[in-house]
Amino acid sequence: MATEHSIPTFAEPLFNLGPLPVTNSMVVTWAVALGLVAVVRIGTRRLQLVPSGLQNFLEFVVESVYGMLESIIGPQFVRRTFPFLATLFIFILACNWTGLIPGFGTIGWGETGEHGFRVLKPLLRPTNADLNMTLAMALTFTVLWVFWYYQAHGAAGALKHLFAPKGGMRGFILVVLVPVFIFVGLLELISVFFVRPLGLTVRLYGNIFAGDNILEAMNHILPFPLDVLTLLPFYFLELLVGVVQALVFMLLCASFTTAAIMHEEEGH
Amino acid sequence: MIFIALAAETHAPGFFEQFGVDWPHFLAQLITFLIVLWVLKKFAYRPLLDLLKEREDRIAEALQKAEQIEKDRAKAEETRKKILADAQAEAQRIIDEARQVAQREGDKQLQEAVAQAEQLVAKAREATELDRERMMTELKREIGRLVVETTAKVTGKILTPQDQQRLAEETARELAA
Repeated sequence: MATEHSIPTFAEPLFNLGPLPVTNSMVVTWAVALGLVAVVRIGTRRLQLVPSGLQNFLEFVVESVYGMLESIIGPQFVRRTFPFLATLFIFILACNWTGLIPGFGTIGWGETGEHGFRVLKPLLRPTNADLNMTLAMALTFTVLWVFWYYQAHGAAGALKHLFAPKGGMRGFILVVLVPVFIFVGLLELISVFFVRPLGLTVRLYGNIFAGDNILEAMNHILPFPLDVLTLLPFYFLELLVGVVQALVFMLLCASFTTAAIMHEEEGH
Repeated sequence: MIFIALAAETHAPGFFEQFGVDWPHFLAQLITFLIVLWVLKKFAYRPLLDLLKEREDRIAEALQKAEQIEKDRAKAEETRKKILADAQAEAQRIIDEARQVAQREGDKQLQEAVAQAEQLVAKAREATELDRERMMTELKREIGRLVVETTAKVTGKILTPQDQQRLAEETARELAA
C-alpha cells in the first residue's frame, strides 16, 4: 500500500497539557523557540564592540538580513519592518533545518507489521509541516501589513490608494473607469486578505511536508545500508529547500510591504 | 478578517480539518512565534543594530580623526619647511649684508689709504720742489758769488757794485737757460 509509508497531512496530538492537545509539531516549535532564545541570550549577554564567537555570528546574520531588506524596502521603512521580517527568516530557517535532524518522523509510536516496525505517530514533526504554524505566520504578516499600510497612507489615504482612479484622468473616461478601479480595489482586497496569506501558508507547508514525505519515502526504497544512497541527495536538496523557503517567505512579505508603502514616497 | 472567518467557519468537509488546523493549535503556534519575535527583537535586533551603528560611528570617527591628523601633519610639515626656508633666506640676507658692509668698509679704507698716500706723495713732491728751489736759489747765489770772485781774481780789479750786479744777473740768466 502506497499510503502505508506516507506521513499524515496534519500534526498528531501526543498528549494533553490541560485542555490543550499537544501535537508533535508543537513540541518541535517549542524546542526551536527555546533554542533560538538560548542562542540569542548567550550570544548577546556581554556585547563587545570588537565581536567574537557567537556574537560575531549573530551580527553577521542580523547585518546580512538587514542589508538585504534595506535594499528592498528602503532605508526609511526598514527599521520598522525589520524585526518581524528577519524573525520570519530566522525562525523558518531554524525550524526547517531542525526538521532535517535524523529522528524526525522515524522515532515515535507505531506497530510491527509484516514489513517490520512502522512508525505511525512520530514524536517529532517539522514545525512548518503543520499548517497551523504557517497560517499563524501568514496571518501575523497580514495584520502587520494592514498596520503598516495604515501608517503609510492613513485611513483616507488607504481607501484612496485602493479605490481611487490613478493616472489623472478626467471627464467621460473617468466616469467609465471608476467602476473598473473600484473592482480592481476589491480584487486587491481579496489578494491581500485571502490569496496572499493562503499562498504563503500553503507554499511553506507544502514544501516542508513534501520534503518530509520524500525523505520518508527514500528511506524505505532500499534496505538499510543502501538507503543512504537514495536518501543523501534528497537530504541535501531539503537543506537547500529549507533556506530557499525561508528566504521566499521573507522576501515575499518584504515585497508586498514595499508595494504597499511605496506610493507614499512617490506621491510626495 | 476574511481569512480567519473562513478558517473558523468553513464547513466544507475539511480543507482545514484535513490539515489539522484548529483554534487551540493555531493560537499555540501563533503565541510561540510571537514570543520568538519578541525575544529576538529585544535581545538580538535592537542591541545588535545599536552596536553595529555604534561601531559604524566609531569607525567613521576614527577615519575622520586619522584624516585630521594627516592634515595637521601635512600642515606642520609645510610650516616646518616654511620656517626653514625663511631662516635660510634670513641667513643669506645677513651674509649678503655683511659682505656688502665689509665691501663698503674695505673700499672706504682703501680710498682713505690711497688718498693718504696721494697726499703724502704730494707733500713729498712739494717738499722736494721747495728744496730744489731753495737749492737752486742758493746755487745761483753761490755761483754768482763765485763768478764775481773769479772774475775779480782773473781781472785783478775790484768790481764795482754795478759790475757785480750785472755779472750776477748775467750768470742767473745763463743758469736759468
